[in-house]
Amino acid sequence: MAAAEPADPDVVASAVELTKVYGSGEAVVTALDGVSVDFARGRLTAIMGPSGSGKSTLMHCMAALDRPTSGRIVIDGQDLGGLRDGALTALRRDRLGFVFQAYNLVPTLTARENITLPLDIAGKKVDQAWFDTVIDAVGLRERLSHRPSQLSGGQQQRAACARALVSRPSIVFADEPTGNLDSRASVGILQFLRTSVDEFGQSIVMVTHDPGAAAFADRVLFLADGSIVDELSSPSAEAVLERMKGFEVVGRRS
Amino acid sequence: MLRVTLKGIRGHLVRFLLTALAVMLGVAFVAGTYILRDSMNGTLDDLLTSSVKGVDVDVRGVSTNTETDQGTVRKPVQLALADQLAKVDGVADARPDLQGSAMLVGKDGLIVRNGGAPTLGLVFRANDPSFTVIAGAGPSGPGEVVVEEATLKKSGLAVGDTTQAVFGGQVRPVRISGEVRFGSLFGATAILLDDATARSAFAPDGTVSGISLSAASGVTPDQLRTRVASVLPSGAEAVTAKTLEDETRKSVDQVFSVFTTFLLVFAGIALFVGGFIIVNTFSIVVAQRTRELALLRAVGASRSQVRTMVLAESFVIGLVGSGLGIALGLALAAGLKAVIKGFLGLDIAGGLPLGTQTVVTSVVVGVVVTVAAALMPAVRAARIPPVAAMRDDMVMPVSSIRRRGIIGSVIFVVGSVLLTYEVTRTEVGWGLAGLGFTMVIIGALVAAPLATRPVVRVINWPFQQFGGVVGRLAGQNALRIPRRTANTASALMIGLVLVAGLAVIASSTKASFAGLVEKQLTADYVLSAGRGGQVPAGLVTAAQGVSGVQSVATLSALSAKLDGHDVTIVATTGAGLSQNVRIDLVSGAIDAIDRGELLVDQSSAKANGWTVGSQATGTIGTLTDQRITIGGVYKDTQFLGSTVGGRALYEKALPAAQQRITYAFVKAAPGANTTGLETALKGLAKPYVVVSVETGAEFVNTATSSVDTLLGLLYVLLALSIIIAVIGIINTLALSVVERTREIGLLRAVGLRRRQLAGMITIESVSTALFGAVLGAALGIGLGAALQHGLRDDGLDVLSIPWGTIVFVLVASAVVGVIAAVLPAVRAVRLNILKAISTD
Repeated sequence: MAAAEPADPDVVASAVELTKVYGSGEAVVTALDGVSVDFARGRLTAIMGPSGSGKSTLMHCMAALDRPTSGRIVIDGQDLGGLRDGALTALRRDRLGFVFQAYNLVPTLTARENITLPLDIAGKKVDQAWFDTVIDAVGLRERLSHRPSQLSGGQQQRAACARALVSRPSIVFADEPTGNLDSRASVGILQFLRTSVDEFGQSIVMVTHDPGAAAFADRVLFLADGSIVDELSSPSAEAVLERMKGFEVVGRRS
Repeated sequence: MLRVTLKGIRGHLVRFLLTALAVMLGVAFVAGTYILRDSMNGTLDDLLTSSVKGVDVDVRGVSTNTETDQGTVRKPVQLALADQLAKVDGVADARPDLQGSAMLVGKDGLIVRNGGAPTLGLVFRANDPSFTVIAGAGPSGPGEVVVEEATLKKSGLAVGDTTQAVFGGQVRPVRISGEVRFGSLFGATAILLDDATARSAFAPDGTVSGISLSAASGVTPDQLRTRVASVLPSGAEAVTAKTLEDETRKSVDQVFSVFTTFLLVFAGIALFVGGFIIVNTFSIVVAQRTRELALLRAVGASRSQVRTMVLAESFVIGLVGSGLGIALGLALAAGLKAVIKGFLGLDIAGGLPLGTQTVVTSVVVGVVVTVAAALMPAVRAARIPPVAAMRDDMVMPVSSIRRRGIIGSVIFVVGSVLLTYEVTRTEVGWGLAGLGFTMVIIGALVAAPLATRPVVRVINWPFQQFGGVVGRLAGQNALRIPRRTANTASALMIGLVLVAGLAVIASSTKASFAGLVEKQLTADYVLSAGRGGQVPAGLVTAAQGVSGVQSVATLSALSAKLDGHDVTIVATTGAGLSQNVRIDLVSGAIDAIDRGELLVDQSSAKANGWTVGSQATGTIGTLTDQRITIGGVYKDTQFLGSTVGGRALYEKALPAAQQRITYAFVKAAPGANTTGLETALKGLAKPYVVVSVETGAEFVNTATSSVDTLLGLLYVLLALSIIIAVIGIINTLALSVVERTREIGLLRAVGLRRRQLAGMITIESVSTALFGAVLGAALGIGLGAALQHGLRDDGLDVLSIPWGTIVFVLVASAVVGVIAAVLPAVRAVRLNILKAISTD
């Protein structure tokens, strides 16, 4: 039983024997095949792998956006199994942060309103000091009253990052956060994520297929065919790239 | 391209079905109207055939050239003429038209009646071909009557029962001796008397309206007509049954066409509202398919092909909607029949004939409206550049709402000025006022997007303040595309303009009438017999004998044509007038009417150049070539109308069978015990059942209640437009949900609960509905007030805005918004978060 296990204070989220199967019969696809992994608190973890390796599925399940076929997920000591939609919604709202590839800002709201959206939805007061800290870290102070359509892609993604951080979540999940950005904007975002970990102690899990992005992480997990096949600690971009080459051939699926 | 078109419809099946639904409702109205008309025509044919059965030639009085709402006034024919005509060679039978009003008291003690349908009293002749005896036998004397089948059924009585009947101004005990069946009476009730009784009841002065002749064998109707015509006295004429039938058909057709036009107006409104929905749906669908359409262009489709494709989609939808509409029209016609029977007592037999014309008209109207409404979106679709297929953002080129706003505002302002100018003039120019009226509505519809921002902001204020982030998001959603919000709301707006406008007019009518009666009526009690009824003369005589009654004055209406103008003369006595009605005499004397002179109001005196002592010439009732003296001029009053005449004049001008007492006013003697008086009067009126005894205030209530009935009928007809408007809101919201899939996914991902999401969509819906409702109600009140002002000299002198109704309508609109949000909200709540986020 989950409650019986002593929670490891250094682990913010963990998956145990996670399996996710899509479709049925002939068309069955096993996206995750018994994955067990712990994500360390206050660390930036990158998940890498070729298309169809299951990296996005792993993150979606971890982030309570999708339910696994079997296996157990524990976020911050809370077992997700058996939680109903309402409880999962509350969990996402209070303990999780999200950064998506396509920014996903609400077009009718200003940057400031977009950033405080999770707090507003929860009906919580904005911690002004923390808000200022985050805003200064992403460098959006001058643009807070602008709408998404008046911001560049990089600025929009920085707003999305600020939104993920402002509610002080236990863990932030970033799905290809630099996928739509040019290299300069990408570096800006990655530096911000790094800063959040180093200075604010934020735990972040980032899915990416860019070895350069993965090089910002403390730890890189490599997925192929729904299983964790390898990992690297404090890698360089070259080391990641080198390791990737080994999986490219087997990984093609989709 | 056809395959692409059909695939396109299949791909967006639900939204197209909703669009087809809007078309369907509009077309149903058109089809229902035509089906009803055909059904009425069928019934009419039966009626005409049975009414002229056995009649070859009709002898009647010549026209006096005076028109009333019942048709031409004709001179009466002497009853004795029938015996004379029976002797003419070739006449097999001559039957005087003994006909009048007669009512049967049913088992429940009430008069048997179908709404406002006539209560006919006829004569029973054993050989009469217009009916067949189905039970019992003919009446053997004044104490027996024969009752028509449906009337008997409604009365709850049976052949052999004894009851009471009212005819010839008296209540009489009668025994039902038999039952007869007519072809169709259109809902009228009928009882039949024996010849002698019918003569005394319906021709007390020895005159009838006509004599029906049957030809002997071997004599054609035309031959008979010629022979009869040569022996007729002056003032009478002979026509063949064919001519009579044609005349009747023509006049009934006129009534029908007014009725049909009336219904088609509402059908037009429904279609107009539906048009907005179609425009909106196609606009949104085209916007959502920008990339798909651009791809078609990129792979080589020409602009006109894209345009044709969108139009072809609308054609298919128009066709489907029309087909469904015709089916619904059948149901609607059946419903309308029930409504007509309920409100007017008009019983339309003749099934639900679905004629070719009905089908063709319905389909053409449905398809044309749909395709026309899709034209603008189709043109816009064709303008999508092929390169849009490559772009990520799907922004449609949107023409500025400012230009549209300015154009609309100009139309609106010009229309308002025109309308205001016209209705404030002494002589209202209704043509230009109507133009102004139309321009105000069109202008408001065109300019509506400009009003979206300010009005929706105000409506949203409470949601913004107390609805938290959900309220804020919802408010901004409604403002996102002002044009779309305005178009969606427009449908409801049109409905509410009419609802609010009608409410203002109805309320003003009631207030004006109440004010009129209060100011003008000094009588203590009013005896009346409801719509189309008459106060029996016997009751009036009896009321005069009640202790405490100072006087009883009768009021009757008489049609006349004086110096070329059709007028209605209110006939009473000088004493009755001065005691019961407040009349401001400018010159002359009230009792002039007792000397056979007329009182006229100032307007007609001025228009005709009459002063006291002038002579007016013309027809009065059935009297032609009359000269009559003007005995007095009074200040204009709606209560009396333009002309007042004496009782003696009335009795001279109309044959006894046509004389009717519309109202009898009772004035109590000073110091009389009014409670006792009222009880005594009610006791007297009781046997007459149909006559009510009311105080002035009660009389006002009863008289104005018919306004409410009419208003209720109009609301029922408008309900369809409101339903279409609701479908429009559902459609737009559903499409907005699809459009914002990714955003909704994000909101759910960052923790928006399902309930909050449903709330957000509901608030957006309510905002849109209220926007349309507020605009519509404001416009309706304004237009209603303008109309009232224009009619201030025609009786509508009091403006009364029914705030209760208006508030109710606004609240109801908010409820409509909530209802419309249900389906889209369910859909949004069910969205899979993961799919929603990654969708594009």
